[in-house]
Amino acid sequence: MKNRLKVLRAERDWSQADLAERLEVSRQSVNAIETGKFDPSLPLAFKLARLFGLRIEEIFLDEEQLG
Amino acid sequence: MFCSIKSPAQRRFVRVCWMSGGLVAVLAVAAAAAFRLWHLKGLLAYPVAVLPALPILWVLIETGRYLALEKDEFQRNLMVQCLLGGIGGTLAVTTVWGYMEDFARAPRLDLIWVYPIFWLFVGIAMPVVYRRYR
Repeated sequence: MKNRLKVLRAERDWSQADLAERLEVSRQSVNAIETGKFDPSLPLAFKLARLFGLRIEEIFLDEEQLG
Repeated sequence: MFCSIKSPAQRRFVRVCWMSGGLVAVLAVAAAAAFRLWHLKGLLAYPVAVLPALPILWVLIETGRYLALEKDEFQRNLMVQCLLGGIGGTLAVTTVWGYMEDFARAPRLDLIWVYPIFWLFVGIAMPVVYRRYR
Protein backbone atom coordinates (compact mmCIF):
# COMPACT_ATOMS: atom_id res chain seq x y z
CA MET A 1 0.00 0.00 0.00
CA LYS A 2 1.34 3.42 -0.97
CA ASN A 3 2.01 5.76 1.90
CA ARG A 4 3.66 9.03 2.91
CA LEU A 5 5.91 7.58 5.57
CA LYS A 6 9.16 8.55 3.89
CA VAL A 7 8.05 12.18 3.52
CA LEU A 8 6.68 12.35 7.06
CA ARG A 9 9.86 10.83 8.39
CA ALA A 10 12.02 13.26 6.41
CA GLU A 11 9.98 16.23 7.71
CA ARG A 12 10.94 15.20 11.22
CA ASP A 13 14.49 14.31 10.24
CA TRP A 14 14.01 10.77 11.51
CA SER A 15 15.91 7.81 10.13
CA GLN A 16 14.18 4.48 9.60
CA ALA A 17 15.92 3.30 12.75
CA ASP A 18 14.54 6.29 14.70
CA LEU A 19 11.01 5.54 13.57
CA ALA A 20 11.48 1.83 14.26
CA GLU A 21 12.58 2.60 17.80
CA ARG A 22 9.53 4.81 18.37
CA LEU A 23 7.23 2.11 17.01
CA GLU A 24 9.07 -0.67 18.87
CA VAL A 25 9.58 -2.66 15.67
CA SER A 26 12.63 -3.57 13.60
CA ARG A 27 14.12 -1.23 11.00
CA GLN A 28 13.31 -3.85 8.37
CA SER A 29 9.64 -3.52 9.34
CA VAL A 30 9.70 0.23 8.77
CA ASN A 31 11.47 -0.25 5.44
CA ALA A 32 8.92 -2.88 4.32
CA ILE A 33 5.98 -0.64 5.26
CA GLU A 34 7.57 2.44 3.73
CA THR A 35 8.23 0.72 0.41
CA GLY A 36 4.67 -0.61 0.33
CA LYS A 37 5.78 -4.23 0.49
CA PHE A 38 4.10 -4.90 3.81
CA ASP A 39 0.77 -3.53 5.00
CA PRO A 40 0.69 -2.91 8.75
CA SER A 41 -2.13 -4.14 10.95
CA LEU A 42 -4.70 -1.65 12.16
CA PRO A 43 -3.11 -1.37 15.63
CA LEU A 44 0.27 -0.53 14.07
CA ALA A 45 -1.35 1.87 11.61
CA PHE A 46 -3.06 3.64 14.52
CA LYS A 47 0.26 3.76 16.36
CA LEU A 48 1.85 5.39 13.32
CA ALA A 49 -1.02 7.86 13.07
CA ARG A 50 -0.68 8.79 16.75
CA LEU A 51 3.06 9.20 16.36
CA PHE A 52 2.71 11.61 13.43
CA GLY A 53 -0.42 13.29 14.81
CA LEU A 54 -2.38 12.44 11.67
CA ARG A 55 -5.28 10.26 10.64
CA ILE A 56 -4.52 6.87 9.10
CA GLU A 57 -5.85 7.94 5.70
CA GLU A 58 -3.47 10.91 5.75
CA ILE A 59 -0.56 8.45 5.93
CA PHE A 60 -1.78 5.51 3.86
CA LEU A 61 -3.24 6.16 0.43
CA ASP A 62 -6.33 4.31 -0.74
CA GLU A 63 -5.13 3.21 -4.17
CA GLU A 64 -8.64 2.27 -5.31
CA GLN A 65 -9.90 5.74 -4.50
CA LEU A 66 -6.90 7.29 -6.25
CA GLY A 67 -7.73 5.24 -9.33
CA MET B 1 15.83 -14.24 9.28
CA PHE B 2 17.78 -13.78 12.45
CA CYS B 3 20.84 -12.19 10.82
CA SER B 4 20.42 -9.18 13.08
CA ILE B 5 18.57 -10.44 16.11
CA LYS B 6 16.72 -7.63 17.80
CA SER B 7 13.65 -8.67 19.72
CA PRO B 8 13.67 -10.58 23.02
CA ALA B 9 11.42 -13.20 21.38
CA GLN B 10 13.99 -13.82 18.62
CA ARG B 11 16.85 -14.02 21.11
CA ARG B 12 14.89 -16.52 23.20
CA PHE B 13 14.01 -18.64 20.17
CA VAL B 14 17.58 -18.79 18.87
CA ARG B 15 18.84 -19.69 22.35
CA VAL B 16 16.29 -22.52 22.58
CA CYS B 17 17.30 -23.84 19.14
CA TRP B 18 20.97 -24.03 20.12
CA MET B 19 20.19 -25.64 23.47
CA SER B 20 17.86 -28.12 21.80
CA GLY B 21 20.47 -29.06 19.20
CA GLY B 22 22.96 -29.83 21.97
CA LEU B 23 20.39 -31.78 23.95
CA VAL B 24 19.39 -33.89 20.94
CA ALA B 25 23.02 -34.88 20.41
CA VAL B 26 23.56 -35.73 24.09
CA LEU B 27 20.29 -37.65 24.44
CA ALA B 28 20.79 -39.52 21.16
CA VAL B 29 24.22 -40.69 22.31
CA ALA B 30 22.81 -41.59 25.76
CA ALA B 31 19.87 -43.50 24.27
CA ALA B 32 22.13 -45.37 21.86
CA ALA B 33 24.47 -46.26 24.73
CA ALA B 34 21.55 -47.44 26.88
CA PHE B 35 20.29 -49.73 24.12
CA ARG B 36 23.79 -51.06 23.47
CA LEU B 37 24.58 -51.69 27.14
CA TRP B 38 21.27 -52.97 28.45
CA HIS B 39 19.62 -54.30 25.29
CA LEU B 40 16.39 -52.56 26.26
CA LYS B 41 13.17 -54.22 25.12
CA GLY B 42 9.45 -53.95 25.75
CA LEU B 43 7.89 -51.06 27.62
CA LEU B 44 11.17 -49.61 28.85
CA ALA B 45 12.48 -49.29 25.30
CA TYR B 46 9.81 -46.76 24.30
CA PRO B 47 10.55 -43.95 26.77
CA VAL B 48 14.31 -44.30 26.23
CA ALA B 49 13.85 -44.27 22.45
CA VAL B 50 11.71 -41.13 22.72
CA LEU B 51 14.30 -39.22 24.77
CA PRO B 52 16.18 -37.64 21.79
CA ALA B 53 12.86 -36.48 20.34
CA LEU B 54 11.92 -34.46 23.43
CA PRO B 55 14.15 -31.44 22.64
CA ILE B 56 12.73 -31.51 19.11
CA LEU B 57 9.20 -31.32 20.48
CA TRP B 58 10.43 -28.49 22.72
CA VAL B 59 11.59 -26.52 19.63
CA LEU B 60 8.23 -27.04 17.93
CA ILE B 61 6.44 -25.71 21.00
CA GLU B 62 8.90 -22.81 21.23
CA THR B 63 8.30 -22.01 17.55
CA GLY B 64 4.63 -21.51 18.37
CA ARG B 65 5.58 -19.51 21.44
CA TYR B 66 7.89 -17.31 19.35
CA LEU B 67 5.00 -16.49 17.03
CA ALA B 68 2.87 -15.64 20.06
CA LEU B 69 5.56 -13.54 21.79
CA GLU B 70 6.99 -11.69 18.79
CA LYS B 71 5.58 -8.17 18.94
CA ASP B 72 7.00 -7.12 15.59
CA GLU B 73 4.28 -8.21 13.18
CA PHE B 74 6.54 -7.94 10.13
CA GLN B 75 9.12 -10.29 11.66
CA ARG B 76 6.29 -12.62 12.66
CA ASN B 77 5.02 -12.54 9.09
CA LEU B 78 8.48 -13.42 7.76
CA MET B 79 8.74 -16.35 10.15
CA VAL B 80 5.31 -17.64 9.14
CA GLN B 81 6.29 -17.49 5.47
CA CYS B 82 9.54 -19.37 6.17
CA LEU B 83 7.66 -22.01 8.18
CA LEU B 84 5.18 -22.41 5.32
CA GLY B 85 8.15 -22.90 3.01
CA GLY B 86 9.40 -25.59 5.38
CA ILE B 87 6.03 -27.32 5.56
CA GLY B 88 5.54 -27.17 1.79
CA GLY B 89 9.04 -28.44 1.03
CA THR B 90 8.75 -31.27 3.55
CA LEU B 91 5.35 -32.36 2.22
CA ALA B 92 6.62 -32.24 -1.34
CA VAL B 93 9.79 -34.26 -0.65
CA THR B 94 8.13 -36.87 1.57
CA THR B 95 5.16 -37.33 -0.78
CA VAL B 96 7.34 -37.68 -3.87
CA TRP B 97 9.73 -39.99 -2.03
CA GLY B 98 6.81 -42.06 -0.72
CA TYR B 99 5.62 -42.77 -4.24
CA MET B 100 9.17 -43.53 -5.32
CA GLU B 101 9.47 -46.03 -2.48
CA ASP B 102 6.16 -47.65 -3.39
CA PHE B 103 6.53 -47.90 -7.15
CA ALA B 104 10.22 -47.58 -7.96
CA ARG B 105 11.61 -49.39 -4.91
CA ALA B 106 13.61 -46.32 -3.88
CA PRO B 107 15.53 -46.65 -0.59
CA ARG B 108 13.36 -46.25 2.49
CA LEU B 109 13.37 -42.74 3.96
CA ASP B 110 13.33 -43.02 7.74
CA LEU B 111 10.77 -40.78 9.46
CA ILE B 112 13.55 -39.46 11.63
CA TRP B 113 14.64 -37.33 8.63
CA VAL B 114 11.36 -35.44 8.38
CA TYR B 115 12.34 -32.93 11.07
CA PRO B 116 15.77 -32.04 9.58
CA ILE B 117 14.17 -31.85 6.12
CA PHE B 118 11.60 -29.39 7.51
CA TRP B 119 14.26 -27.06 8.94
CA LEU B 120 16.35 -27.44 5.80
CA PHE B 121 13.44 -26.05 3.78
CA VAL B 122 12.84 -23.33 6.38
CA GLY B 123 16.49 -22.38 5.89
CA ILE B 124 16.10 -22.38 2.11
CA ALA B 125 12.96 -20.24 2.38
CA MET B 126 14.64 -17.59 4.58
CA PRO B 127 16.83 -15.87 1.95
CA VAL B 128 14.03 -16.14 -0.61
CA VAL B 129 11.53 -14.49 1.74
CA TYR B 130 14.04 -11.88 2.88
CA ARG B 131 15.01 -10.94 -0.67
CA ARG B 132 11.35 -10.18 -1.38
CA TYR B 133 11.34 -7.43 1.26
CA ARG B 134 14.82 -6.03 0.70
